[in-house]
Amino acid sequence: MKRSIIGNQAVAYGALAAGIDVAAGYPGTPSSEALIELLHFAAAAGGDPAPYVEWSVNEKVAFELATGAAWAGKRALATMKMSGANVASDSILSVAYSGTKGGLVLYIADDPGAEAGMPEQDTRLFAQWAGLPVLEPADPARAYELARYAFELSEACELPVILRSVTSVAHAKQEVEAEFTYKPLGRQADFEKNIFRYTKAGAAICMDQHRDLLQRLQAAQRSAAQAGVNRLQKGTDGGELFVVAAGALIPYVREALAAGDHGKLSTLFLESVYPLDTELAGRMFETAQRILVLEELEPFVEMQLRSEASRLGWTGTILGKLDQLFPRVGKYSQETIGRGLTLLTEGQGEHKRPAVSVGQIHGASATPQSAATPGTAAQTAADGRQAALQVKHPITFCAGCPHRGSFMAINRALKKIGLNRDNTVVTGDIGCTILGMNPPFHTCWTEVSMGSSIGLAQGFYRGGIQNPLIATIGDSTFFHAGIPPLVNAVQHGANLLVIILDNGWTSMTGFQVNPGTSDQFQAQGARRVEIEGIVRGMGVENLQVIGPFDQEQSVDKIAEALQQEGVKVIISKQECALTAARREERTLIYKIDPEKCTFCRSCLRETGCPALYVTANGGKSKHGRVMTIDPEACTGCGLCFTCCKFDAISRKHLGGARS
Amino acid sequence: MMQSIFLTGLGGQGIITLANLISARASENGLKVTLFNAKGMAQRGGRVTSEIRLSDDPQAVFGARISSGIADILIGMEIGETINSLSYLKEGGAAIALDYAFVPTTMMLKKEPYPTFEQLTELYALKTDRIFAVTDARHPYNMFLLGVFSAVAPEIAPGLSFLDRASVEQGITEKLKRGLQENLETFNGGYEHGRSLLQRV
Repeated sequence: MKRSIIGNQAVAYGALAAGIDVAAGYPGTPSSEALIELLHFAAAAGGDPAPYVEWSVNEKVAFELATGAAWAGKRALATMKMSGANVASDSILSVAYSGTKGGLVLYIADDPGAEAGMPEQDTRLFAQWAGLPVLEPADPARAYELARYAFELSEACELPVILRSVTSVAHAKQEVEAEFTYKPLGRQADFEKNIFRYTKAGAAICMDQHRDLLQRLQAAQRSAAQAGVNRLQKGTDGGELFVVAAGALIPYVREALAAGDHGKLSTLFLESVYPLDTELAGRMFETAQRILVLEELEPFVEMQLRSEASRLGWTGTILGKLDQLFPRVGKYSQETIGRGLTLLTEGQGEHKRPAVSVGQIHGASATPQSAATPGTAAQTAADGRQAALQVKHPITFCAGCPHRGSFMAINRALKKIGLNRDNTVVTGDIGCTILGMNPPFHTCWTEVSMGSSIGLAQGFYRGGIQNPLIATIGDSTFFHAGIPPLVNAVQHGANLLVIILDNGWTSMTGFQVNPGTSDQFQAQGARRVEIEGIVRGMGVENLQVIGPFDQEQSVDKIAEALQQEGVKVIISKQECALTAARREERTLIYKIDPEKCTFCRSCLRETGCPALYVTANGGKSKHGRVMTIDPEACTGCGLCFTCCKFDAISRKHLGGARS
Repeated sequence: MMQSIFLTGLGGQGIITLANLISARASENGLKVTLFNAKGMAQRGGRVTSEIRLSDDPQAVFGARISSGIADILIGMEIGETINSLSYLKEGGAAIALDYAFVPTTMMLKKEPYPTFEQLTELYALKTDRIFAVTDARHPYNMFLLGVFSAVAPEIAPGLSFLDRASVEQGITEKLKRGLQENLETFNGGYEHGRSLLQRV
C-alpha cells in the first residue's frame, strides 16, 4: 500500500514492520515525528498488538530503556536529534562494547544547514567513535526500507545500528510503498546473565569487549555488503570517472545525471556509510582515475575512501572537501552538485579554484542571503538589490505565552533593585525559554546545552561575578538535565536564583508530554511528577511559586529573592498558551480604546506581543496612529494591560460584557 | 514536465495548508510529488517555507529540496519573506506575490522602513516579467492565493491542469472541513482576481 508520509514517519513504519517491542525517545527537531507516529499508532491500536512507546525524560534514559529491551532479546528503537546523542553518549559508547542480542536501532536526525537552529553536528563521526554501523537513507521510501533492515543488521552483527537521517529526508514527504502494519515477533524476554559481556569490571573484560566490538563491526560490513545496500554502476567509459554520493544527496545526483549528458560517468551510491564497503570501493579503485565525492557536512566517506585508496596504493584524484573544493558548512545545493560534475568531467583546469566557498552554498532559511550563489549578471544585480531590502522576522514568544510574563518580571525586578539586564547575568537554556534573549526582552546571556543554565551560573558565581546570578530553565529541560546541577548548587552552597519556567509541556518541539505535564494528559499508566516536590527534596528551603501573569507578585518575589543569599528557586507556573488555546479555554481578551491610546507603544516595547499591531489611521493621538490588539490572537493574559499608563487597555469577556 | 514550486511567508498564514492542498491535488492526479515543509519557527511568528516538486514521469528521480535558481514558480505571502526568497526563483520563472506586510516588533519600535510591495515587484522585475501581483486579497489569504494560482496556472506552465478550478474546489471540500463555505468563497474570489490579472499581463 502507498501513502504520502515524511521520512520520520517512514522510520516509524519500518520499525513497526520489523516488529519492534519498545520505542523510546526525547523530542528534538528534526527527529520528533518518528516517535510521534509510533505513539499515534499505539494509541489507535485499541485491542490490537502495539509496541510500548514513550517520551523518556532524556535521550540517555531513552537509549538505556531501548537497550534493556534489546538485551532481553526484543527489538527496540531509540529516537533523538544529534544533540541528544551527546546526552546519550555515555551509554552509547559503553553499550557498543557489549553489543546487543535483539535488534537495537538508534535513529538520529542531523541538520545540515541548521534549519532547526542547532549545531551542524555530523553523527557519522560520532558513530565511528563509538564503533557502530551507520545507515543513511536517500529519501523517505528508503528510510522505510533501511529502518526495517537496520534491525536485521543489528541482530546479524550483534551491534546497535545507527540510522542517520538529515532534515531534507526526515521532513520530506513523498509516496512510500509500505505495509503500515505492526508485526509482533512474539519473542519471549530472556536476558542471559553474563558479566563478561554486560559489565565493565576490569581491564581484561574491557579489552575483550573492545576486541569483540571490532569483530562485530567487520561482521556488519559483510552483512551490509551482502544485503546490497550500496550500489555501484559503471558508465560507458568503463569506470574512469566515478561519482560517489552518500545518503540524502543520492536523488539530487541522479536528477543531475539524468538531466545532462553524463552517460560515461560511473556511480557509487552509499547508504551504508560505515564501515566503508571495501568490496565496492575496491571495484571502483580498479578502474577509476578521478572520483568525485558528494556528501554534506564532514568529509566522512571521503576520509574513508582516501584511507582505503592509500592502503591499496591507488594514485588517482579524489575531488572532495579535504582539498577545499566543497564546503563542510551548510547543505549542498543543486548547483553545488552540478559544479562537482563539471569538475569531474572537465578536469584539472577547474581544479585549482574552489568550486564553492563557505557561505555561498544553499544555507539555512534563517539566513536567506547564504542561498545566493553566483549566477548570471541579471541574477547578480537582482541579488544585490535584494540584500539591501532584506528583513528578518525574529521569533518571539507566542501571544499569551507565560514566559513573556516571566521575563518581563525578571527585567522589572532587576530595575526595582537598581540593576538591569545588561549588568546582571541571566543564563538561558534550551527550549522556548531561550527566546528571552530576543527583543524586546534581551534578558538571557547564554545558551549551551540542556540544563547548562544552572551549572554555568554557578561558574559565574565561583568565578567572582559580583551581581546576583539568575538561571532560567523550562520544565522539560529541568527534568532532562537540570536536576544534577541544582543538587550541586545546594550541596556546595552556591549563591544563585534559579527560575523554572513551568508551562507543563515540551513546547518548542511541538507540545510533547513531559514528567510535569498534568495527569489528565499523561499516557495510560503514567503520572505527573511535581517539580516543587523534587526541589524541596533536594533541600532547597527558599522556594516560591509564582504566576507570571500576576506581575506585581512576580516582580516582588523575584526582587526579594535576588537580595537573599544561597540557592533560591522560583517556579513560574502557567500552562503553555498554545496547548490551552487548542482546547478553546479562552474566556476573555483585551482591547485597546483608540480614544485613549496615545501611541506611546509601552505595551509593544515591553511585551513584544505578536497580537499587538499598529493601526495607521485611527484615534486621536497626535501621530494619527494607535496600537490595536488582534482579537483572534489575544489569549487574555493581560501583560499589555500592566504596561499601559493611560488606562487605554481593558478586558473584554468573550460573552460580550466589559469590566 | 517537471515543476518546482517554492512557497514562503510567515507562521499562521496557512502556507502549509496551501502546500498540502497543491501537492495532494498533484498526487491524486497521478503526478510524482515531493513536499518539504520548513515550519520549525512557525508558531513563534517566524518564516515558513514549503517546497513542492512534481513530475509527470513516474520513473523520474529527484530530491525534495529546492535551492537557488531552481524554482519555476514562487508564491510569496508576505512582502519581506518574498523578497528574502528571490534567489530561489529561476530566471524568467513565475512569481505570485501578495501585498501583505507583517512588520516585526523591533522595526515597529525603531520606525525602520519596511520594504514596500512596489520595491518587491521592482526587485522581481530584474529576474522575470511574469509577476502576478495580488493587491486586494481577502482572508484567508492562502485560499485567495490558491484561487489566483488556479486561474493563472495554464499561463504559467502546461501540465498544471490538476489545478483547474473544479479540481481544486473538490480538494478543498475533501480536505478542509472547518469553515468550508468561507474557504470556497475566498478561493473563488481569488480565482476571479487571477483571471483579471491574466487580462492585464
